[in-house]
Amino acid sequence: MNASGELPVRSRGTIGLLEENCTVCMLCARECPDWCLHIDSHKEPLPPLGPRGRPRVRHVLDRFAIDFSLCMYCGICIEVCPFDALFWAPDFGYEATQHADLTHERGRLREWMWAAPPPAPGAGSTERAASDQR
Amino acid sequence: MSPDEVAAALGPTASISAPYGELVADLPIADWHGAALTARDVLELHFFDFLTGVDLRDQGFQVVLRVWSVAARSGLQLRTRCSADSPVLASVSDVYAGAGWHERQAAELLGIGFPGHPGLEPLLLEPGSGHPLRKDTGLAARAAIPWPGAKEPGESDRDLGARSRRKNLPLGVTARDLKQP
Repeated sequence: MNASGELPVRSRGTIGLLEENCTVCMLCARECPDWCLHIDSHKEPLPPLGPRGRPRVRHVLDRFAIDFSLCMYCGICIEVCPFDALFWAPDFGYEATQHADLTHERGRLREWMWAAPPPAPGAGSTERAASDQR
Repeated sequence: MSPDEVAAALGPTASISAPYGELVADLPIADWHGAALTARDVLELHFFDFLTGVDLRDQGFQVVLRVWSVAARSGLQLRTRCSADSPVLASVSDVYAGAGWHERQAAELLGIGFPGHPGLEPLLLEPGSGHPLRKDTGLAARAAIPWPGAKEPGESDRDLGARSRRKNLPLGVTARDLKQP
């Protein structure tokens, strides 16, 4: 259910995942005070960039899940993400009768992403508001 | 209310300080109930603010009582310490009736006994569930599931057991609380 018509667009309803931006750095899973973020990944070798280069390794996401039965909507995972892969979305209508059904896997988190509002003008996550600068 | 007035009222066994800008009287445990009576009747601190306990581990449990004078607009903290093995302290609920609920809370969460209290029934917890504010109480939720942040980038759950190097530990949780893989 999308209630963005009745709620402020920046309501903390759910958390969307933009998988393309995730580098599997594990920062969100480590910072989460509720231990509700589960990430699995594996390494894939990449060929060297040039003839004298070394073989490289890329981390590939296998699982990204948020257990909303534990989540306290603090937003630390969103704040800590260095690559803007996590976003607040205003939707809140994902009640379930089983705890397990509140664990949203990557596909479902991706669906929430499309409900996330666009960033406010001039409020890029890497820029601080003028009043916030020291 | 000056430190001298408080010292004179509470007697030579109390040590008076003002570590946070408010008067604090540290008392021997035997003087606890008498000091509460003195605070109410002599120093005219009629308003009970709170009573709570602090787990100081080997040094026992500190119990803090804060009372306030509405007329003089000043407060006083009374502190004492009871032993870690058998924390027992005379109840002040007959002096300040409001302390009764706070003593029930301290009894439930820290396991401090208050002889003289009219009814120390638990407020919230099931019988036999321990005293959660004691620092040696493990956090059951942390022992039940492994920490999701223990994995390095590029690792899955199945890689964790095979690893021999030092493991990452979550902040704010002691190794004793964690689920052993």
